Amino acid sequence: MIQTDFVLDAKGLACPMPIVKTKKAMKDLEAGQVLEIQATDKGSTADLQAWAKSSGHEYLGTETEGDVLRHFLRKDGANAAAEPAVIPEISLENFKEKVENGENLTILDVRELDEYEEGHINGAIHIPLGEVEQRSGELKKDELIYVICHSGRRSELAAQTMAKQGFKHLINVVPGMRDWTGKTV
Amino acid sequence: MSTKTAIIAANGGLFDAYKVFNIATAAAATDQEVAIFFTFEGLNLIHKEAYQQLPMPAGKEHFAEGFKKANVPSIPELVGMAQEMGVTFIGCQMTMDVMGLEKDAFVDGIEVGGAVTFLEFAKDADVTLTF
Repeated sequence: MIQTDFVLDAKGLACPMPIVKTKKAMKDLEAGQVLEIQATDKGSTADLQAWAKSSGHEYLGTETEGDVLRHFLRKDGANAAAEPAVIPEISLENFKEKVENGENLTILDVRELDEYEEGHINGAIHIPLGEVEQRSGELKKDELIYVICHSGRRSELAAQTMAKQGFKHLINVVPGMRDWTGKTV
Repeated sequence: MSTKTAIIAANGGLFDAYKVFNIATAAAATDQEVAIFFTFEGLNLIHKEAYQQLPMPAGKEHFAEGFKKANVPSIPELVGMAQEMGVTFIGCQMTMDVMGLEKDAFVDGIEVGGAVTFLEFAKDADVTLTF
């Protein structure tokens, strides 16, 4: 159950009113507080997600009760609640050396399935960025994990997510597979 | 940096009004800078009298019930909300001259300008829409 600090009743209102009301209500909240928006507009789920994304708030989810959708948003999202962890980086070059020296590395590839299938480093574990939060349990929290993607951006986001979940030894490979010249499978 | 949305409203029906003001208020609520240029029939959308009872497209009058049922805000309400959130309304000077309308025929707080006034805003807009 999500703890809410403020409940906004937008039931019976049509687009764009739930968004307009949310925007107004959000102003009175403090960073990190959670706003619950009760709406009956079926489009509000997609709208609020998009709105949260573009205005820097965190969309926590939606619960449905009969006709009423209960949306939860955290003001200013994760940025305000906690500074993002600094993820150490390794250059692709140094990383390649380690791979080619035959070191026993745990490599997490967070690209999409088609990118992964097109070519990845032998032994790399595949969890696309969107699934990292749910599936990180497949990895060990105290293990040294090299996170890689196409350019280094998604891998950083994935590492941020995992750091929040308590993974202690994450290294972001920068850039990523885009510039990889070594062997792939 | 905020996103800019530039909208041209060139038609004067009720459906047109909803298209224009729904997008405009949604954009403003998303912290975008929004300007709407009202030209030709589009001026009806901010005309003090006309905007109270904008016509439905011919043959679509039966949608009136649907609007009521869906609890859609009225156009004057949407206009007020848009203005409250800082949406800029620009009335087209040339159209006003042609139609013999003065600025006070329109809702308060509009700017009146020519095409260049709008273009100046729209030249670096991220989203440009015409209705």
